[in-house]
Amino acid sequence: MKAVVKIENVTKIIKKRKIIDSLSFEVMEGEVFGFLGPNGAGKTTTIRMIVGLIGISEGDIKILGNSVQTNFEKAIQHVGAIVENPEMYKFMSGYQNLLHYAKMSEGITKEKIMETVEFVGLTERIHDKVKTYSLGMRQRLGLAQCLLHDPKVLILDEPTNGLDPAGIREIRDHVRKLARERGMAVIVSSHLLSEMEMMCDRVGIIQKGKLITIQSVHEQVEGGAKEYEIDVDHPTEAMFAVNRLIPQQQAEVKGNTLMLRAQKEDIPLLVKEWVHDGINIYRIQETTKTLEDRFLEVTTLQKEAE
Amino acid sequence: MFSLIRNEWVKIFKRSGTYVMIGILLFIVAVAGAFMKYQDVQGSVPPNEQWQKGLQMEIDSYQKELENSGDMLPEDVKESYEKIIAINEYRIENNISPNGDYEALSFISDMSSLIDFAGLFMIIIAGGIVASEFNWGTIKLLLIRPITRSKILLSKYITVLLFGFSLLFLLFIFSGILGLVLFGLGGSEPYLLYQDGVVKEQSMILHLINVYSLSSIQNIMLATMAFMISSAFRSSSLAIGLSIFLMFAGGQITHLIAMKYDWAKYSLFANTDLFQYFEGTPMLPGMTLTFSVIMLIVYFLIFQIIAFIIFKKRDIAG
Ligand SMILES: Nc1ncnc2c1ncn2[C@@H]1O[C@H](COP(=O)(O)OP(=O)(O)OP(=O)(O)O)[C@@H](O)[C@H]1O
Ligand SMILES: [Mg+2]
Repeated sequence: MKAVVKIENVTKIIKKRKIIDSLSFEVMEGEVFGFLGPNGAGKTTTIRMIVGLIGISEGDIKILGNSVQTNFEKAIQHVGAIVENPEMYKFMSGYQNLLHYAKMSEGITKEKIMETVEFVGLTERIHDKVKTYSLGMRQRLGLAQCLLHDPKVLILDEPTNGLDPAGIREIRDHVRKLARERGMAVIVSSHLLSEMEMMCDRVGIIQKGKLITIQSVHEQVEGGAKEYEIDVDHPTEAMFAVNRLIPQQQAEVKGNTLMLRAQKEDIPLLVKEWVHDGINIYRIQETTKTLEDRFLEVTTLQKEAE
Repeated sequence: MFSLIRNEWVKIFKRSGTYVMIGILLFIVAVAGAFMKYQDVQGSVPPNEQWQKGLQMEIDSYQKELENSGDMLPEDVKESYEKIIAINEYRIENNISPNGDYEALSFISDMSSLIDFAGLFMIIIAGGIVASEFNWGTIKLLLIRPITRSKILLSKYITVLLFGFSLLFLLFIFSGILGLVLFGLGGSEPYLLYQDGVVKEQSMILHLINVYSLSSIQNIMLATMAFMISSAFRSSSLAIGLSIFLMFAGGQITHLIAMKYDWAKYSLFANTDLFQYFEGTPMLPGMTLTFSVIMLIVYFLIFQIIAFIIFKKRDIAG
């Protein structure tokens, strides 16, 4: 896979304050890269630099080999982006907005516009004025606008902001589809961790303008053993059964809950054993260590270090 | 570039405010036309063969005024009296009645004072065209496309000019058509032009061309200033407010300064009114048409350079 976006040692100083501090990362073709950080971490600022809305104090950003500083037009040509909120001309219809935007790129046909509208599911309301749109519809229109010119890089700043669960799911599906099927490199920013987990291949965690770590989202799954939480009426006895059956794994009791690490195949064996021992089981839940845990882990470590 | 200008044009005409502006302009012309048609707006001169006597009486009364309190009168009032006297005398000598047929061209000429109004609307568009994109947040959309910032700004400036010219064109055509319908096409009354104490005749058409083109220069300068403020400070209210204020008060202020200081001639508003070289006298001695044209070009370039440099450099945040 080829790196499409390269952030090289980028620093942004505004009024003598380092907002972004020597940031470096790459985004590959067909990859969804999550850009995760608490409020004010510098996600939007980084995105603004990528799309050339603000200058870069130090370092460089390259898109398909073209620097956004010295070769802006070539670099930005393959980028579709929503920075912060999808802003539209409210006094025009969705279609007129798209037409306006299409005119700023080469060779976008009306068929292409309607096809994109279809893709984001806005066909019914596309001729209504944007001021009558709900937030979700505006997000869709924003997405359509970024996709008109078939970009190779898609940048979405908090695309699920303010959406209901169905809307979030839809955006997620779109993003995954665009990366898988069209090979786009997608950068998505968010401070919602659970969401990043479901959408992204890799997640970069940024805090106070510094990139703390980049993690692969599906790392944990490949390990085999998973964490489980099991509610039973006699946790201690239940733990003995675990120790008998899978002595190589450790278990722990917390109130009425048994916390353990086990292979998936071990679970039915354990259940049979518990039932045999007359233990009542109320709940079994897989608790993969979420990105959230890792995120909090990393950020608290960071805080302690200061 | 063409499609960028078209985009800007579409955005202007998708907003109702634009139609209100055009509506106001046409409405005023229509009302004025109706007024002139049905209200007998005649001067102080009898509408019959007696007009010479009437004019002579007017001359006498102004002359008396000048003799009695000539030293106390402000310079421009004195000048306007002298102008009326000179023109009246010319009419009597050359037998040109002020009661000649009122016809389409005269109506266009009377309505040409509305060019200032068109200038006002041009300023409103110029002041909003960049700042509004910042207010709406849509500036981001424009700047993340493979088009240089200069091109975006230039397309907006050209659109402002086009809009201004379209308003003038509309004003001219509408007052022309209305004039034709209401008053018909009469004999060609000459326009009497007064300069340096001499009265000259000028064909009405030539006079109209003069009025429209010279007024356009003033409109363009003010709109360019509004455009500069709009792109440099991102505030349409500042751009529009300041420009309109200066449009009305700039000349007066400059006049006041000019009474005391000679450097007033370097002010923009000492130079926007080029009529002073064709009719009347220049604001300050030593000012010539060439001087004013050079000053206007200098101001124009300064406005454009400021607008483009700031717009190109600016970080688009928030
Ligand atoms: N124009 C500016 N002038 C001064 N400081 C700024 C400017 N823009 C951003 N900042 C600062 O930079 C930091 C990063 O802001 P940024 O908007 O990039 O955060 P973010 O990660 O997008 O946060 P959020 O999740 O709230 O959107 C903040 O501390 C902010 O105050
Ligand atoms: Mg942000």
